Amino acid sequence: MWKTIGTSLSVISKQKDILQPAKELANQQLRTTYILRRKHPTQLHAKGENPKTLRSRHYIYEVVEDTTSVKHPNLDVILTSYVEGYGNVGDRVSVRPNFAYNNLLLPGLAVYASPENLEKFQNKQDDKDIIRYSSANALYTVKSLQRVLLSVIMNMEMPWTLKPWHISTSFRKCGYVVPEDTITLPEQPISGPNMDLENKEFAITVTINNKEKVDVRCRIHHWSTDISERIPHTPQFWETPSEPILPEQAPILEAIPPRPPAKNRSAQLN
Amino acid sequence: MLLPTFRLLQHGITNVCNNSLPKSVLESSSFLQTRHYAARKGTRERKKKAAAKAKSKVVEQKVGFIPHNQRNREQFLMKREKRKFDDSMRRDPIDNVFVAKYYKWIVYPFTEAVECHRQTHHPDMYNKPNAPLHLTVELNMIGEKQTRFVDNFTRIVGIPHKFDQNEERAILAFTKNPELQQEAANAGALLAGGVELIKQIQNGQINLQDFKFIIAHPEILPELVVLRGLMKRRFPNPKLGTLGVDMKDMVEQFLHGINYSAIKDEYEKDFGAIETVIGTLDMDPKHLEENFAALVRDVNTMRPKRAGHFISRCILWSPPSPEKLKVDHERYIDVGKLNDQRAEEENEDSERIAL
Repeated sequence: MWKTIGTSLSVISKQKDILQPAKELANQQLRTTYILRRKHPTQLHAKGENPKTLRSRHYIYEVVEDTTSVKHPNLDVILTSYVEGYGNVGDRVSVRPNFAYNNLLLPGLAVYASPENLEKFQNKQDDKDIIRYSSANALYTVKSLQRVLLSVIMNMEMPWTLKPWHISTSFRKCGYVVPEDTITLPEQPISGPNMDLENKEFAITVTINNKEKVDVRCRIHHWSTDISERIPHTPQFWETPSEPILPEQAPILEAIPPRPPAKNRSAQLN
Repeated sequence: MLLPTFRLLQHGITNVCNNSLPKSVLESSSFLQTRHYAARKGTRERKKKAAAKAKSKVVEQKVGFIPHNQRNREQFLMKREKRKFDDSMRRDPIDNVFVAKYYKWIVYPFTEAVECHRQTHHPDMYNKPNAPLHLTVELNMIGEKQTRFVDNFTRIVGIPHKFDQNEERAILAFTKNPELQQEAANAGALLAGGVELIKQIQNGQINLQDFKFIIAHPEILPELVVLRGLMKRRFPNPKLGTLGVDMKDMVEQFLHGINYSAIKDEYEKDFGAIETVIGTLDMDPKHLEENFAALVRDVNTMRPKRAGHFISRCILWSPPSPEKLKVDHERYIDVGKLNDQRAEEENEDSERIAL
């Protein structure tokens, strides 16, 4: 008998996963409260008497409220770093609780808006070491403006000199709202019609909220009112490289990050 | 005492049977009486006939060729993009520079929208300063009931500032009063006359098909009834605005007014749209605004008696520019008045319920 015990123990000791802590322990309490109401009220009973027996109809209930399906309120958090679309360091934002937990609290981008944290982050808003953006969406706009190659369509017959409102209108046509006063043109004036400028690049500076400055790549395109004079359409004109109009702008244009390739293949083919 | 023991015994026997005998034997050993009575006369023939008929029906009917674009029509309709527009889920812009597609559409004041189009059509850019200014009015065509929809409608609205519409509109005016006849002719009616004109039409000297609009003064109506058969739907009618006292006004409305029609979507019955031109870009923006206001007010007269809006949005566009600018239309409709009406109607309803 003792001989066999020795062998069996060794077998047990080899199986490592024989003794393991119980899994799936509910660490949080489950909140599954249903508030019900009796469909048929129970009979009243005399004082001091035993309550009357309940009939089967008294066990029919109507649901008043199912707390499992109630929408949870928003959660207040304080951002510990700049989060695009939400805010700067020290901003108190109110977001959906699941989003707050998965995308802000777990990665360490925010902390709960407890009284201690509120006090701690009160002074952060005036901290000058931290890079602060003018608004929650400013960086979005900066990034998307960097990707743009703005086609500035100018007339082929009438004389013109480029002005901020030409750029603003071109932006609006492409779906960007850029007021005239935010646009800074190159110091040297660009005027036409001049077919040497056709499909050549220049850079302008857009100032968002009087703070963030973005250089945007632009190209001149000549457009004739007379349909027979028009320059034929070039598909994907932004993919063919071009030269700068003003040689001194070459380093600025080179510094603008290149446009990432189109994700959609069908878009490329069209 | 005997009876229970007998029952027990019986139970025991059946149990034994259940345990030991195979099922098929058990089934066969159940004593079920089966008797075959003769069927009623003709029953078997009837059943045979029915069976034969059913067999012959199974033969598949040949389906003709269905074009590929018409197959899975239901699926196509499901996938089709909705034409109704809703950007209420998008956020409001907070910066002075932003990407428009991530935010709610900008609602321009009318004159500002015209100014934007003038910029794109400036000689420096497209060089089309006198391009026509198009307007699209999107409508919520749900009627008084959710399942009833407003019918397509075509109307003509008088505008305070006329423009060239490249369309010939011949107008025939009926009135007994020679002064009014002169007035109508001066205003631009192709032909204005009284009883003698009716006779000429009856004789066949004048063809009604040559005229696009027929207007009349109420005093001539008794004599005009003889032409009802010839005019059919075009017979002067106060509802259409073709029967009235002020001849000059009517002629001007039909000569220079904007002719527009609201067309429902073929599949999306609660969506309708009006596409029309309200002027040219070189007109004074204030004048264009007045034309726009007149049109919007006229469209709103077709609004069904229900809560909610009828006009959902108005868009200004002007080719060759691809720009589409949403303009504010609600300030031109007397919203306060409408709300009062609605409140009154609701009060009436509540009173009815109380009674």
